[in-house]
Amino acid sequence: MKAFQYATAHSTSSARELVGEKGAYLAGGNDLLGLLKEYLVSPETLVNIKSLPGLNKIERGEKFWTIGALVTVAQIENNAEIKKVFPGLHEAATEIASQQIRNVATVGGNLAQHSRCWYFRHRDVKCLKKNGDLCYARNSENRYHSLFTGNDCISPVVSSLATIFTALDATAIILRDGNELRWSMAELYADAWSQRLAHNSLQPGDLILRVEIPLARSRSVFLQASEKHAFDWALVSCAAAAEIENGKLKSPRVALGSISNVPHQVAAANEFLNGKVLDDAIATQAAAMILQGAKPLEFNGYKVPLAETLIRRALLKLKGDA
Amino acid sequence: MKNSAPENPGAHSRRTFLKSLGTVAATAATAQVKTVAAELEKANAEKIIGPDAVPVTLNVNGEKIKLLLEPRVTLLDALRNYSSLTGAKEGCDRATCGACTVLFDDAPIYACQKLAIEAQGHAITTVEGLAKDGKLNKVQLAFIEKDALQCGYCTPGFVMSITALLKKNFHPTADEVKHACAGNLCRCGCHPHILQAALKAAGVEHASKTEVVTYA
Ligand SMILES: Cc1cc2nc3c(=O)[nH]c(=O)nc-3n(C[C@H](O)[C@H](O)[C@H](O)COP(=O)(O)OP(=O)(O)OC[C@H]3O[C@@H](n4cnc5c(N)ncnc54)[C@H](O)[C@@H]3O)c2cc1C
Ligand code: SF4
Ligand code: FES
Ligand code: FES
Repeated sequence: MKAFQYATAHSTSSARELVGEKGAYLAGGNDLLGLLKEYLVSPETLVNIKSLPGLNKIERGEKFWTIGALVTVAQIENNAEIKKVFPGLHEAATEIASQQIRNVATVGGNLAQHSRCWYFRHRDVKCLKKNGDLCYARNSENRYHSLFTGNDCISPVVSSLATIFTALDATAIILRDGNELRWSMAELYADAWSQRLAHNSLQPGDLILRVEIPLARSRSVFLQASEKHAFDWALVSCAAAAEIENGKLKSPRVALGSISNVPHQVAAANEFLNGKVLDDAIATQAAAMILQGAKPLEFNGYKVPLAETLIRRALLKLKGDA
Repeated sequence: MKNSAPENPGAHSRRTFLKSLGTVAATAATAQVKTVAAELEKANAEKIIGPDAVPVTLNVNGEKIKLLLEPRVTLLDALRNYSSLTGAKEGCDRATCGACTVLFDDAPIYACQKLAIEAQGHAITTVEGLAKDGKLNKVQLAFIEKDALQCGYCTPGFVMSITALLKKNFHPTADEVKHACAGNLCRCGCHPHILQAALKAAGVEHASKTEVVTYA
């Protein structure tokens, strides 16, 4: 990696000042050090944000819970209350990477992590996402790539937390130039849909402060299918969350990861499920709606039936049947 | 006395510094002398340092190690190439193999994916720090007894992961051991013996030596 300057920030305003336009925030460093080692980013200054006060806490509220951006994935995994209140979040955290990574990986860094496309990650390949003029994946090794995209890059969002946060209708609070912006997960990734260069909607200097999760859905699940039994990225991940009242779904949300450059969610399917009594036929219908318009490439067609199965399993597990 | 402490030049520069940044810490002005000193320390810490080598003090296996390192040097590099502590191994240098696992305040982490400069102030334990009074710890002994290695390259990493697990979970199940060790890979394929060793160290050994530990 290239040499860089280093600073530790003790307040959000000094963090912003120190990072300037050409610096990068350093949280757990799992993603950033990988990018630095491959010369994919060369920030002038690394600003360690782990000493920012108040951002490493999980706080219970009456209407919503707050998870600070510096909370580690292990903190979520080890929190017995989270396991009860947001079981899907607990399941997602438990499956992320390895113990060593979960111990340092932060919520903010997990949401802001960059593309894992193997062409993108190769230091000598200059693809569309690096301002080159070709997407190497589209007509080549694309087995891990997207079924949906809003631009010509087909690298999917892989953050497991983004998938479950989408199903839980969580809000990310972003500090931009001293103002707090409140973004849905869809807004956090909107730019990755519309712009090939973007991994998310964050601009230089934007700082994720925390995530708020409403207590509106007492049931939630997260499932992922991977090639390896453990310590592997999801080929497809699926999260679902809802309340069940008198046997009927209330405010259901289904979200998928690793099949689109944003957490994949279809509003019409959520509406379709609302008020329904879940059974396999309903779950199958919902899955078809969610996957409608999928554009499989040469090697990632398997993701369609895989996603369909995960959606059905997630919904039935939500109901308590699986 | 409390409130009339004269503003020392240090406190002043702290204030000017913060002013230039915008909002925070108007409270510092009325703070006690002690607090001002602590604030000052913070202010210094907020300075940009590097890219050239800077003094870095690491606390490894209970000893202070003073080094001169560029901010880009990883903890693994600092241990192996600047401190002659070669117990933690470099396999992938990309957070995927676990050979470099060390304890960071009792939690296992990959030393290859952490900057040495940010490890300051934390207690680092490497495999060299496990033996006490010349005696190997119970995980190390169990590895020998259960023949849990072939080439040995992955061993320090596994030993650190299992040692960390047994510190918070005295009697783990086989599944819990597997979950804790999922981030360690053994290229020689010793995983079944490693699992046996972990269970042996935890005192929850399987009854029969020939019992097959199945992988789900
Ligand atoms: C082998 C392997 C397997 C993995 N498997 C999974 C998996 O299954 N699921 C999954 O979700 N992840 C997985 N990961 C990714 C891992 O979880 C992320 O790299 C990690 O969560 C990133 O968090 P961090 O705190 O280390 O981020 P960092 O590396 O510190 O930061 C990542 C990026 O986010 C920026 N950033 C950090 N914090 C903030 C903030 N508060 N505001 C704004 N920007 C910020 C940084 O500048 C940087 O660009 C895996 C990683 C590896 C290496
Ligand atoms: S999918 Fe995106 S990141 Fe991968 S090669 Fe194509 S343009 Fe580059
Ligand atoms: S060398 Fe650090 S995980 Fe492989
Ligand atoms: S014993 Fe050789 S890699 Fe594990």
